[in-house]
Amino acid sequence: MRTSSIWKAALAGAALLHVAATAHAQGEAKVDEGALKYRQSLMEAVGGDMAALTNILKYGLTVPGAAQVHAEGLASHAKLTTVAFERKVTAGPTDAEPAIWEKPDEFAQSVQKFEAETAKLVDVAKNGDLAALGAQVKATGKSCGSCHDSFRKPKEESFKRKGGGS
Amino acid sequence: MLQASGGCTCHTDVEGGGAPLAGGRPMQTPFGVWYTTNITPDRETGIGAWSDADFLRAMREGRAPDGSAYFPTFPYTSFTGMTDDDLLALKAYLFSLPPERKENRPPDAWPPFSWRISAWAWQLAFFRPERFEPDPAKSASWNRGAYLSTAVAHCGECHTPRNLAGALDRSRWMAGSEDGPEGELAPNITPHDDTGIGRWTTTDLVWFLQTASKPDGDDSTGLMKEVIEEGYTHVPAADLEAIAEYFESLPPIENQLMADDDAEDDGEDEDAP
Ligand code: HEC
Ligand code: HEC
Repeated sequence: MRTSSIWKAALAGAALLHVAATAHAQGEAKVDEGALKYRQSLMEAVGGDMAALTNILKYGLTVPGAAQVHAEGLASHAKLTTVAFERKVTAGPTDAEPAIWEKPDEFAQSVQKFEAETAKLVDVAKNGDLAALGAQVKATGKSCGSCHDSFRKPKEESFKRKGGGS
Repeated sequence: MLQASGGCTCHTDVEGGGAPLAGGRPMQTPFGVWYTTNITPDRETGIGAWSDADFLRAMREGRAPDGSAYFPTFPYTSFTGMTDDDLLALKAYLFSLPPERKENRPPDAWPPFSWRISAWAWQLAFFRPERFEPDPAKSASWNRGAYLSTAVAHCGECHTPRNLAGALDRSRWMAGSEDGPEGELAPNITPHDDTGIGRWTTTDLVWFLQTASKPDGDDSTGLMKEVIEEGYTHVPAADLEAIAEYFESLPPIENQLMADDDAEDDGEDEDAP
């Protein structure tokens, strides 16, 4: 009798633990999903500002203050890159390379370069010289590219070309 | 004659002074900056010992006199469409210059070519020993664009899928290749709205070929970035516009390229915790 109630208690405890673990796992999965979605939307925002700046350059647009707004957008987004990639999420619809978390120093260097180039971009955008802006947008683009080369999956491996992508 | 050749199929700036011909300096041509080899008539360090046949072969086929594949520090791509007479006139001109003794820079000192684009990939990308036939029914700029895209810049070598024999599938011209050089996926660049670059403006394409920056703000990667940075970015804007005109005239082909599955497996292995 006693043994069987101990059994029951143990079973109940185990079941509870199991439920808690599952809930925890589900919670974790959701945190992962959120981290993944967030860093991708950050990158899309950054892409949007780059697109706006290149349109200004391509077409010689003279929308007052626009270059500065987009440069500032890039610079402030750049500062979010570190936290956006803090959580290691390598499964699911992502093009992030595991190297981000395996070589944190190298990744941090890429982020620093990105921050430095976008900070310079803000200065250049303020003085309104399109040629200088063009050169600095190019330098900023290089900082995107050098991080992507090391830490983002190439096209032929991209989740976006797997059919089931988001 | 040199002037004329400069103005025809390839306005290579060979008359950019005697010194660059001694090599080692970046040499500006319509299709990129080459760290030239010494092409002054110095017999030991230059091309002074070359026969006419050696010269034609180097210019046309990118082969050194000993038959080895020429590393692309020699602007042979620009000359492949030229006639023998024009090329020999160019040789005569080069041989009329003062010989300059200067060792060629060793390959490891030839960035950026030595980094990733191997000689063959570069040849594949930029060079094919065949002549271009203009279409008299089309405008001069279209023909220029078609010539540059097919005979010189070789967009199709990467962007056109191959048939089982490895030949370019002309029925899907520029419709993209899932397994381009070095296994890279080269997208559909026909003017198809959803699966190609139909939504890109002329300005977008010209800008992309100058800067590697796409209309959505994303950057280009891999071989495309390299061919832009080492080549297309140095091409005059008018020529890039001609290339864009040619691409806009192509039949739009619906072809959504997919990533290959092996690549996914590689990724998943790495993802294991
Ligand atoms: C420090 C590294 C780093 C820098 C700097 C960086 N990126 Fe990214 N970017 C990534 C990674 C990693 C991904 C893949 C994210 C994923 O799929 O989880 C990515 C993805 C993207 C995407 C695709 C987003 C999506 O999923 O739709 C775009 C667009 C993009 N980046 C644009 C840019 C631009 C433009 C810049 C520069 C202004 C830039 N990035 C700078 C690392 C970086
Ligand atoms: C050496 C191979 C190679 C050659 C030559 C080449 N490309 Fe590409 N191209 C690529 C690869 C690989 C990509 C994919 C990388 C990327 O999109 O960043 C690409 C991407 C592009 C894109 C972006 C398409 C998109 O949907 O994002 C365009 C446009 C393009 N190429 C046009 C051209 C044109 C025009 C030429 C000739 C003047 C050319 N390419 C020559 C390999 C090549």
